[in-house]
Amino acid sequence: MISDAPALQQSSEQADSAAAPSRLARYARPMLGILLPLILALGWELVVGLGYSNGRLVPPPSRIFATILELARSGELTRHIAATLWRVGLGFAFGVVAGTVLGAISGYWSLARRLLDPTVQALRAIPSLAWVPLFILWLGIFETSKIALIAVGVFFPVYLGVMGAILSVDRKIVEVGRVFRLSGPAMIRRILLPAVLPAYVVSLRVGLGLGWMFVVAAELIGASEGLGYLLLDGQQLGKPAQILAAIVIFAILGKLTDWLIEVAATPFLRWQDAFGRAKGA
Amino acid sequence: MLALDRVSKTYPNGVQALARFSAEIKLGEIIAIIGGSGCGKSTLLRAIAGLDRASSGTVTLDGEAITSPHAKIGIIFQEPRLLPWLSVADNIGFGLADLSAGERREKVARALERVGLSDKAEAWPRELSGGQAQRVAIARALVPQPEVLLLDEPFSALDAFTRADLQDHLLDLWADTRPTLILVTHDVDEAVVLADRVLVMRPRPGRLFDQIEINLARPRDRNSPLFENFKRSVLAALDRSLDRSVPDRDATQGPGQAMWW
Repeated sequence: MISDAPALQQSSEQADSAAAPSRLARYARPMLGILLPLILALGWELVVGLGYSNGRLVPPPSRIFATILELARSGELTRHIAATLWRVGLGFAFGVVAGTVLGAISGYWSLARRLLDPTVQALRAIPSLAWVPLFILWLGIFETSKIALIAVGVFFPVYLGVMGAILSVDRKIVEVGRVFRLSGPAMIRRILLPAVLPAYVVSLRVGLGLGWMFVVAAELIGASEGLGYLLLDGQQLGKPAQILAAIVIFAILGKLTDWLIEVAATPFLRWQDAFGRAKGA
Repeated sequence: MLALDRVSKTYPNGVQALARFSAEIKLGEIIAIIGGSGCGKSTLLRAIAGLDRASSGTVTLDGEAITSPHAKIGIIFQEPRLLPWLSVADNIGFGLADLSAGERREKVARALERVGLSDKAEAWPRELSGGQAQRVAIARALVPQPEVLLLDEPFSALDAFTRADLQDHLLDLWADTRPTLILVTHDVDEAVVLADRVLVMRPRPGRLFDQIEINLARPRDRNSPLFENFKRSVLAALDRSLDRSVPDRDATQGPGQAMWW
């Protein structure tokens, strides 16, 4: 194919030019991102170590890690992490299921959208923390109200993501399904689901982020265990190292769970012609 | 035999896109439909495909009325419309879901070879050039072996060289099973290269204006004087179709059409 030759040549050129600096780039780029926090942490460690500050309110990294180690050794840490993960997991599951089902119904069926969507949008306008007193009255101060709050936080981005994704599926692609006479379920499975998946994964990640946000709110309100409890306990007993330790663990867990979604979705999204992907590889 | 009987289409906004279009198309015939913009070419094609229903009139294939997409009718659009999440091979096999995996693989492999893309079987659609993608779309439409293949300006987005190449390629593929081809185009060259019969439509509302038989042996030489002659007569018909002072050939047939003047 003579007509295709320039395209092929171009892509092989791209591959060549990408191959040479890639070894350096692959490791150097993430390293660049770590550089700033690393310098700040080492700098502060040095400042405290040399006695320019006592580090009582802003403990140096070594003291934070010592606190984490101590909590881990006593088994406290596992208990708190388990409690928080359990709440986030359950709230996330409920929120995702409700958001997916209602979002799919609203996206697929325009009558349902007209009936349902205005109400959902109105509820979305309420700051979710405003539900806390009501949830406590309705569901008690224990696990149920916390999980409900997290589920509410997760619900909205998932609902909006699913509905928006279904509404924006390319009519031309749907027509291909019609030409091949796909039945309703086949149309959903073979056209709509794959078309919606990229946006769905994004909405899951946003939802998970909100889940982590709301678990802190829920645990600050009243809990006897969990990472949020560690925060509150650290404030009340004046232990900034414990607060920072909890924050560090929140960051690690949040990043880790987000990464899990990303990794789980990657095999299904390899086909994407995304901007970031082309440059990153 | 594909029979179009007084097919009309009026859109909900009142625009009459197609008025009493009648034609009979034999199995294996290659028809080109050509006409000025807004002459209802694409509307006609979508009615034959069963994607839109005619407001009145009927489309019948072998005596069966077409009101929704039919297994014997395939369509190729202006854009390849490949599913981006399927590999090239899976795109070609998309319409073969009823077959066993082995049979499907075999048919897809043969089709890939036929369009010269065997090495791209596992590629993603985004990795293809425009011409390659359209060839995959042609393979996808042909692999279920339709009796009628509709083509809606399939090569209009490609450069001239790729277009000529794909036109020859299409004829080559057509010769395998000889389905009926109905090609909507605005390219006179393309119509004369491919068609046995060129239907010229005139716009507002879209209707049949003239038809020209192209009695040229294949393969056709794009530079022969005979080819030029046919091109000139199609162009002349096209010009007349856009000239409002020229009456419809069969203007006396329907009172509705006569009144439109």
